[in-house]
Amino acid sequence: MTGGQLLQAVLTGLSLGAVYGLVGIGFSLVWSLTRVLPFAHGDLVVGGALFAVLAVVGTTPVAVSPGAGRSVALVVLTLAFGVVLSVVSYGVAVRPFLDRAGHGEDVLGWVAGGVTAGLVIRTALGVALPAAAYAVPDPLHFDGFTSSGTVTLPGGGSVPVRVFPVIAVGLLAAAAVDRFLVRSRLGRAMRSVADDPDAAVLCGVPVERAVVAAFAVAGLLAGAAALLSAPAQPVGVDDGVVLGLAGAAGALLGRLGSPRGALAGGLALGVAQQVVQVAPSLGAAWSELVPLAVLVVVVAARPGGLRAPRQVAVE
Amino acid sequence: MTTLAADLYLLVAAYGLALAVSYAGLPVLGQGAFVAVGAFGTAQLEGHGVPLLVAVAVAVVAAGGAGYVVGFAAARLAGSSLALATWGLAWLVYTALVLFPRLSGGSQGLTRPTPASLTSPSLGVDVVLQPWVHVVVGTVLVVALALVLVRADAGPWGLDWAALRTGPALADSIGVPVQRRRRAVLAAAAALGALGGAGTAVLQGVVAPVDYSPLLSLQLFVAVLVGGTAAWWGPALGIGLLAALPTTADAIASAAGIDPLRARAVLTAVLLVAVLALRAPAGRLVAPYLRRWQRRPPRDPLPDAAAGRDGTVPAGEAPLLALRAVVVEYGAVRALDGVDVELRAGEVHALVGPNGSGKSTALRVAAGVVAPVEGSVRVRGEPVVGTSAAPRVRAGVARTLQRTAMLGRLPVGRQVEVGARARERAPYAGLRHLVAAPSAVRERRERAAATAAALDLTGLTERFAAVPDVLDTAEQRLLQVARAVATGASAVLVDEPAAGMSARQRDRLAGILRRLADSGRGVLLVEHDMNLVGRIADRVTVLAEGRVLATGTPEAVRADPAVARAYLGVPADS
Repeated sequence: MTGGQLLQAVLTGLSLGAVYGLVGIGFSLVWSLTRVLPFAHGDLVVGGALFAVLAVVGTTPVAVSPGAGRSVALVVLTLAFGVVLSVVSYGVAVRPFLDRAGHGEDVLGWVAGGVTAGLVIRTALGVALPAAAYAVPDPLHFDGFTSSGTVTLPGGGSVPVRVFPVIAVGLLAAAAVDRFLVRSRLGRAMRSVADDPDAAVLCGVPVERAVVAAFAVAGLLAGAAALLSAPAQPVGVDDGVVLGLAGAAGALLGRLGSPRGALAGGLALGVAQQVVQVAPSLGAAWSELVPLAVLVVVVAARPGGLRAPRQVAVE
Repeated sequence: MTTLAADLYLLVAAYGLALAVSYAGLPVLGQGAFVAVGAFGTAQLEGHGVPLLVAVAVAVVAAGGAGYVVGFAAARLAGSSLALATWGLAWLVYTALVLFPRLSGGSQGLTRPTPASLTSPSLGVDVVLQPWVHVVVGTVLVVALALVLVRADAGPWGLDWAALRTGPALADSIGVPVQRRRRAVLAAAAALGALGGAGTAVLQGVVAPVDYSPLLSLQLFVAVLVGGTAAWWGPALGIGLLAALPTTADAIASAAGIDPLRARAVLTAVLLVAVLALRAPAGRLVAPYLRRWQRRPPRDPLPDAAAGRDGTVPAGEAPLLALRAVVVEYGAVRALDGVDVELRAGEVHALVGPNGSGKSTALRVAAGVVAPVEGSVRVRGEPVVGTSAAPRVRAGVARTLQRTAMLGRLPVGRQVEVGARARERAPYAGLRHLVAAPSAVRERRERAAATAAALDLTGLTERFAAVPDVLDTAEQRLLQVARAVATGASAVLVDEPAAGMSARQRDRLAGILRRLADSGRGVLLVEHDMNLVGRIADRVTVLAEGRVLATGTPEAVRADPAVARAYLGVPADS
């Protein structure tokens, strides 16, 4: 492996990792407020992208560069579908199973609810879009920065020019969410619910509103991840699950509940995956297994994330 | 015929999953992965010249081993993390199968000649495995599994599963070895999944990755959810619905002109939604009829069956429980700073002190859930270590929790029976129960007797069949005491039992705790109500800021000026 290849792998890995990071932040945020793992979270990304495409372009999308009006419509709808799908999946598939009438939460119930919500999204998309994968248009026109759409790197490698704006936008979105949680009134309410829902109620924090807001922000981030990732390669209806699991793996490389940890973990995971891809004797097949293997191992070893403190025995 | 046999093999896998999901309450979303291990394992081994039955056995054992390894990790996981890990595993295995054709034969899959035949010249066996043979094998397996599940659920394993399912956090405190049981359940579930997969592979002669996608895991999960909690007929009903799914889906697909696989996904989704919406009501509707014959007759307690093992010990031995110079730190906070507490047989020993003085921490150290950084804990003179409650319960120390903790909606009698299960130190109780060994029958009688005795002692006998929802606060507390007593513990640790009780309920509680001590047990009581303490305690230890201020009779302690200062905030010389 040459230095040029390595640089190429790191750059594409960072752009992939920025997407994982956005997915992971949403996953982590939802968990921190509700202690629910959103099993449909990855499907929100593909759902946001493809439902918006269905609405704007129709059932036979082509990857031609859309005009200004369509671009705006695609951006707005992708984000909106992310938010709506996230909030609806919470209301329909998760909320009914949380602590019903003092019987405690129903883990089997919300796990099944989450996977069902994901399956419903995939199935609805699959009926409308029967092919294995679709190339979708890029409303952000990231490929237009150079005429060829690629950039030659020192050392001989080359990367699609879109990796740079993807990394930049991904980091900006993550920073914006971080600011929102720290500075805004609603963000502070959300953090207080994450710290201690009972105390938050006693302090007059509208817990239900904060939880819905967490799902909405997670959906917005999923929409943003869709805008960044979907145009890079053909999108299959079922791709969302693995993307969601990769986001979860990234979040677990940090600490569940920490947005910065989720971003850092996602970036690390993306880079690791791309390095495995260019590594001699490994290659593309092994690289696709990286996020899933990391997820399974990390959940089993440290369910709260690698950087989570070891649990103290409490009742 | 072939379809029926395939459905029966799927049902075998579903029964395995039901053990984990609907009996032990573990949300496992990756059963399809273990089915795949069985199917591809058998096909691969056979392809390398291993005889058929050996290949099946090896694949099943390998999957069981994998399940055990998953269980090792999963034993410590909360349900949600286990769901995530197994869902990740389902996708990991499927992705690996798709990406590595050498493993899976690519999209065409691995093939083997069908029908298979079993030939052994030395034994004179030569059987061609026609589809009807598979139907027979599948039926035998399914019937045997259903019978074993019903029987096991009525025995010691059933009690352990009920505890795992309804109160995993609590199960430990009444002596159920949570981690061991979870590992065993997951290993068995995985092995049965692999058995189903191996059967399907031999039956169909083709093993292709597309048939072992995570959708299979989801379908199996739906199938076992259909029946709700711990119902032997649940998986059969679920697989029946799933079996009707492909033909229905294909009909819809050809009518609507969509991809048949998509149509199946649509129907699976619809089924999942329907199951989720209906599972509680359906279970309530059907269960009473199907379980009626399973309900056991009223027990016939043998009063002396449990003699000698009911937690009473002769006075004058080493103290039941002794904490010596115990130091506990939570981060930078020193919760206990060199505390000595001793509990003797036949006494009620009260731990009192202001909030944050370390009473509950001392109780947790005694119960084995918090490890001291310095000092020692001795049970009947024997030093004990570790931070797991279950071994401590078997050593004779059981506690109740500060908050009201119930094993879900299990009836009162069954909750106490779960506690009584902890006193059995006999190994393989579940297996011996399965074959109705005399020793298991005797243990069951002892368990019934211990349950009856504990209920009698706490005055809950009338409430045997009641669900916890209908109990008042006092009865719920007493149920906890009854569970702790039923474990056969000689030292019973009770954490703030009187909180929220009325005066009359307190009287009743006082009488019961006093009776417990008079029967030769030791009661270590954490309580704020000094009136109650003064009435029933033989000795009082006062804690303040993690240190012992005074120990002695209630009168002596009340007269102690240091106690008055700490407790009432008055200067000693005023």
